[in-house]
Amino acid sequence: MGMNWRKIEEFFFKTLMIGATLIVIASLVLILATIVVKGAKAMNWDMLTKTPEGGFYLGKEGGVLNAIAGSFYLAGGATVMAMVLSGPIAIYLNIYARKRSKTAEFVRFSLDVLWGVPSIVYGAFGLTIMLYFGMKASLLAGMITVALLELPMMARAMDEVLRMVPHDLKDASYCLGANKLETSLRVIVRQTLPALMTGVLLAFGRGIGDAASVLFTAGFTDYIPDSLFGPAATLPLAIFFQLQTPIPEVQDRGYASALILTMIILAISLVVRLLTRWFDRNSV
Amino acid sequence: MVHIDVQNLSVYYKGQPGLRNIAVEIPRNKITAIIGPSGCGKSTLLKTFNRLLDEQEGIRIKGTVLVDGEDIYADKVDVTQVRKKVGLLAQRPQVLPMSIYDNVAYGPRIHGVRGRKRLDGIVEEHLKMAGLWEEVKDRLKSPASGLSIGQQQRLCLARGLAVEPEVILADESTSALDPISAETIERRFMELKNDYTIVMVTHVLRQARRLADYVIFLYMGRLIEHGPAQEFFDHPKYAKTQGYLSGRFIEEHKIDRELDLKCGEFSADMKIVRDEFGKIKPGQILRVTVDREEAVGEMSGSIESDGHRILEAKRVGKISWEIVAEKQKRIK
Ligand SMILES: Nc1ncnc2c1ncn2[C@@H]1O[C@H](COP(=O)(O)OP(=O)(O)OP(=O)(O)O)[C@@H](O)[C@H]1O
Ligand SMILES: [Mg+2]
Repeated sequence: MGMNWRKIEEFFFKTLMIGATLIVIASLVLILATIVVKGAKAMNWDMLTKTPEGGFYLGKEGGVLNAIAGSFYLAGGATVMAMVLSGPIAIYLNIYARKRSKTAEFVRFSLDVLWGVPSIVYGAFGLTIMLYFGMKASLLAGMITVALLELPMMARAMDEVLRMVPHDLKDASYCLGANKLETSLRVIVRQTLPALMTGVLLAFGRGIGDAASVLFTAGFTDYIPDSLFGPAATLPLAIFFQLQTPIPEVQDRGYASALILTMIILAISLVVRLLTRWFDRNSV
Repeated sequence: MVHIDVQNLSVYYKGQPGLRNIAVEIPRNKITAIIGPSGCGKSTLLKTFNRLLDEQEGIRIKGTVLVDGEDIYADKVDVTQVRKKVGLLAQRPQVLPMSIYDNVAYGPRIHGVRGRKRLDGIVEEHLKMAGLWEEVKDRLKSPASGLSIGQQQRLCLARGLAVEPEVILADESTSALDPISAETIERRFMELKNDYTIVMVTHVLRQARRLADYVIFLYMGRLIEHGPAQEFFDHPKYAKTQGYLSGRFIEEHKIDRELDLKCGEFSADMKIVRDEFGKIKPGQILRVTVDREEAVGEMSGSIESDGHRILEAKRVGKISWEIVAEKQKRIK
């Protein structure tokens, strides 16, 4: 009797595990299949290498290089900004602050809350600030907004990485007369660099794929951005605009653009996995 | 000559004491061994000498540690300078995540040494000092984590020596090593003691006998006995030391009678003590608490010459010392 019940329990749990796993894999495959099937038709070299020419959104010649470049500029700049803030936060939380320090706990809590804030709210916030300072929608405004969006994710990822650094390693550096800053930069960051980079790349992935935060803040243009203060196109918005039109060819290009964005994110995920593996091998 | 002077040092872990009222002087250019059963506070004591304990959470340190006569816990003291002067070799070797070369050069670079040539010289010199040079000279640029544990321990020694400390604290530095590597390290210590003050923690009594000039015996956070090695091993004064050295189980003494003495004139005090002995049977134990350090030695001496056995004499508070003695059969 008892034996049977345990078997049923285990069977039930196994089914649940397999089911959940299948759902994950199936969704990924379905999403990829949709954008590949629909996007492949419109996918060509021009998409990657040309900016929209006259009548592009009505089905004429051109590509989305403006959005590809804009997305990389914007997410790249935002990621650098977020990094400049996240690094010091993570180092403060783990090296300088006492373990149960109230400030540190409050900072962590704030980051967790910020992480959960929907990106449209960041967009609205960015817009408010822009209006206040009389700025136009621009690459810079988009960067700042996306940096704020990326910050909680990146800072918490780095925080978790630094939290795992063994006490002995810090002590080894302290014992040689190094102070906390030297220990952080020369030993701890070095030891955890691949894992920290993983956090950076994940945040980059979030930033490059987000539409809502750039909707009001970055604007849109058919040209490759040449100034921080001019507008910048982004892939998510390019997808959005193209899918909105009633013209089938343009919709297909929307799927092709989605395919491009997905490939970029896929590439980032692969790099993250490689880095993680490398990290596991090299840590002392 | 005293190098590290520990005065009335107590360490509390989250309120509960880890070390209690330790007072001891560590001689210069000698090897001092700290021994005692696991958990008695050896590592804790060692870590108070370079303020490494500061980095731990929830710890309170009371008392004074003087290195070269300077209080290392004073407000104005730069803790990185303390650690430069008093190097600590951890129980488990912990190499830094960089090349062999950079591990050794790490300390000197931190302390402002620049220039390829100078660093090359420093790295070679200290790897030789630690007896590792021959094994690694052809792969200085490869990651230190690729070395064997024994080699890593010697690398840590080289790295520690490269900052040119005056004191080397070694926490069971040979416990993770095979006998050959352990002997290599031991031999280094014997050579190094001419120029450095070495304080080592060890579980291996034979090792303490081989190496130590001076011995400190801790038991449950208390300093039980300390003295020159020869004397310490050949004529341990107290029951707990004798028990530990002979590998016997150390039991807490069952106190049959207690006497709390405000010290006055010595012969009068001694009379009170003798009266107390008169009230107990042979084999029973009397504990006398006194409030003057000088009284401890004198009184123990007199109690012994009366024919009783001193089991223990130790500091228990800022101004209190305990003598625990067992009454013996009357000697005719
Ligand atoms: N961080 C800490 N928090 C709380 N208690 C601690 C801490 N570190 C040490 N202790 C306690 O202090 C006492 C002394 O510890 P310590 O590490 O100094 O012992 P030890 O003599 O070095 O032992 P071993 O020979 O096993 O290394 C032990 O009872 C230990 O449990
Ligand atoms: Mg220890």
